[in-house]
Amino acid sequence: MQIDTVATAKHILFRYGLAIGLIFLALLVSLALQNSFGNPFWFFFSAAVILSTWFGGTGPGWLAVICSTLAVMYYFTPPLRSLAVSPRDLPYFVTFVACEIGVTRLIFWRRRTEDSLRQARDELELRVAERTAELKNANDALVRQMAEQRRTEETLQATRSELARAARITTIGELTASIAHEVNQPLAAVVANADACVAWLSREKPDLAEARSAAERATQGATRASEVIARIRSLITRATPEKSSVQINRVIEQTVALAEGQAARNHAAIKLELSPNLPIVVGDSIQLQQVILNLVVNGIEAMTSVTDRPKLLTLRTEPENKGHIRVLVQDSGIGLTEEVKGRLFEPFFTTRTKGMGMGLSISRSIIEAHGGRLWAETNGRGGATFQFTLPSEDSPAA
Amino acid sequence: MKQQDPIVFVIDDDRLIRDGLQSLIRSVGLHVETFASAQDFLGAKRPDTPACLVLDVRMPGLSGLDLQLMLRDEGIPIPIIFITGHGDIPMSVRAMKEGAHEFLTKPVRGQDLLDAVQKALASDRALRQEHREGNEIRARFESLTPREKEVLELVVAGLLNKQIGDQLGMSELTVKTHRAHVMEKTQAESLAHLVRMSEKLKTATRK
Repeated sequence: MQIDTVATAKHILFRYGLAIGLIFLALLVSLALQNSFGNPFWFFFSAAVILSTWFGGTGPGWLAVICSTLAVMYYFTPPLRSLAVSPRDLPYFVTFVACEIGVTRLIFWRRRTEDSLRQARDELELRVAERTAELKNANDALVRQMAEQRRTEETLQATRSELARAARITTIGELTASIAHEVNQPLAAVVANADACVAWLSREKPDLAEARSAAERATQGATRASEVIARIRSLITRATPEKSSVQINRVIEQTVALAEGQAARNHAAIKLELSPNLPIVVGDSIQLQQVILNLVVNGIEAMTSVTDRPKLLTLRTEPENKGHIRVLVQDSGIGLTEEVKGRLFEPFFTTRTKGMGMGLSISRSIIEAHGGRLWAETNGRGGATFQFTLPSEDSPAA
Repeated sequence: MKQQDPIVFVIDDDRLIRDGLQSLIRSVGLHVETFASAQDFLGAKRPDTPACLVLDVRMPGLSGLDLQLMLRDEGIPIPIIFITGHGDIPMSVRAMKEGAHEFLTKPVRGQDLLDAVQKALASDRALRQEHREGNEIRARFESLTPREKEVLELVVAGLLNKQIGDQLGMSELTVKTHRAHVMEKTQAESLAHLVRMSEKLKTATRK
């Protein structure tokens, strides 16, 4: 602070000293050249005022004007060597003074303009530097955010596929009872027929024809049991999506066979209206099976409380334009309210007490991944129709 | 009275099981009739012979338990052997309460089923026998005159001839004559036999 004040004082002293020095120099040179060139003080004092104002500022400028005025009065206007000015020379003198004042003002404005320009430029540079730093920070933050988002997305993806699997297992869990029935049924047939076979053979006169047909039925039962197990295994295995040529009717038949037990338990009938002229679709048959199973199970559940009309679930396939196919799952259940319809495909939305609410959301993402569309409509006579489209092998979108 | 051939009805929606059970039961010389649904069974004509029903609990349409209730309501006392895929307790309790003869879980062991069938047929045979006897006794008792019925009531109640005579306003001799007719018409071998038959008839009527 002290040093600053001293420095400022020194600077002020220097500026006024410079003004006085310049005027003095101008005076000397003017006096020296007076005899040979008449009135050269015009130029030298003007130059001194210009330089004083330029380098010293407004105070030294004024000082230079005053000093030069006094010097001109004393040395260069008659009567010489006095501070008076003869009336004849007065206009000339006044013009000089006015010119000096004008010069100092002009220079001062010029200087001020230049200063403020410089200041503006400096400020601009500073602001540019600041903005550059800010931008750099923002950029760094963005890079960090992007990395974080990527990590979050990876986690989300992992969670989502985990959820999808959980939902699939839940769907299977809901089906466990009917699957147990599916497996146990053929086993019961095997045991009954094998016992019958042994009984026919153990008779006093063994009846080989009866024994043979019983043994054949036992074989049929065992084959059926192994088929059921193969179907369940293919449903549970977490296979990576595998695209292959799929006959959708075949997938529907296989899936319905899995849900028949549950339908019977709910006294619901399943009707198939499968179009024989469907193009082949490209897709993952296990995933498509999962979607259809989900829609069928939902349909059956939606009809549990229905008493005034037959519980009928209709699965229909039909060709669509542009080489697409359409699958409809129509139930005669409680139908959809507008509120339910709007939220149907949201994750974790469910109207059941047990459900996870993931089935339809996952089904829709599977169908969309296949290039199709899945949506729901209300039937005219009660119940709901869920339908989806799929592009076929040779449609342009496939 | 001629002993009729017993018949076993098998109702199961699964063809392989139906045929297997039929073959098994036929192998011990019993007559079997199979049905794919409860409705088919209700629509079929049933001969008047000792019979039993081997019934799958879980079937599309009318379930085994539904059929049991319908038969009960129609007063058809055919013994039922239930077969179930997964014998959950509430279901079996309900079935047994409604008078199921046996409750077996799938897969059923052949011998268990045959034992159950034999027991059920024996029980139906006994029931029919009892039913027939009851009908015979009722016919005999129906042949009594009103006067004889009055005497019967009092005899069974344990009154002496003299007391009966006093109560009905007739001589002891007349009472003795009526009593002899009652014993003859009801084919009672003793007073005790008469009391037993009378009790049986009363219980059957109350039912």
